[in-house]
Amino acid sequence: MTTFKGFVRFGEDSYILEISESEKDVLINLCGQLIEILAQRVDGTHSDPLAKMVGITGHDSPPDDEVLLRLLPNAYADPVDSSEFRRYTESDLRAKKAQHSMLIRTALMEMESGNVMLDSEGALAWLGAFNDIRLALGVRLNVDENSHERLELLSPDDPMQAVFAVYSWLGWLQESLVQALMEEFEVEGEES
Amino acid sequence: MSQAEGMVEELNAPMFFVDRPWVTIVWDDPVNLMSYVTYVFISLFNYSKERATELMLLVHNEGRAVVSSGGREEMERDVARLHEYGLWATLARDDN
Repeated sequence: MTTFKGFVRFGEDSYILEISESEKDVLINLCGQLIEILAQRVDGTHSDPLAKMVGITGHDSPPDDEVLLRLLPNAYADPVDSSEFRRYTESDLRAKKAQHSMLIRTALMEMESGNVMLDSEGALAWLGAFNDIRLALGVRLNVDENSHERLELLSPDDPMQAVFAVYSWLGWLQESLVQALMEEFEVEGEES
Repeated sequence: MSQAEGMVEELNAPMFFVDRPWVTIVWDDPVNLMSYVTYVFISLFNYSKERATELMLLVHNEGRAVVSSGGREEMERDVARLHEYGLWATLARDDN
């Protein structure tokens, strides 16, 4: 999987990615998986329409699944405060994360030319989705401060090797988009 | 400051500042790219690149950094936005 340039800045506020068919398929697939993972956490049993309307999910305990917990972390060290916050906000957080991935899926599925073009607002959503997918893969790969060498040395037969390859590629893609966005600040400053 | 002003201030302080001292903390995470964390601070908080980089390095080197402070509701909003972009954030009462 090699995109040579990653994201490239174009003019004032456009970011272009030239992407191959196979890379496109991988991204569409990963975004779909993320949306599925988020959907596993179905909104709770509240039949009260008012509770639904204000986003009360019925979930006041953190997810058991490690990936979901990484995507939907606790907001407070205190479990009581944390539950309260979760009950009012988790549904919205899940929806926003699903939207970010959906945005990538739609853009790639509608793409005709082999290029995607984003503005900085769209780019932030893409970055958020890239990051969520990397967090999810990171849980599966047991990424920590010292894991890089272990992961680099995985044998080609190890199924985790392919996961690590995708994880690294996504990191590289994310980095290229951040660098393209950050060029704005390099130009403005006299010396960086 | 006149004596009256001083008294007003004393009266106001506990009533108006009860909800003030909360902080948003971002914790180090081995997955998130350093450049991305910096960019999120710039985009969400309108911090300069220098300030955002400084905060990112604090998170990276010290394991955590206070990235904003204010009222509780405001900090809850900041935490929610940081979670939206995959940063590991919590809020707490400012203990300083």
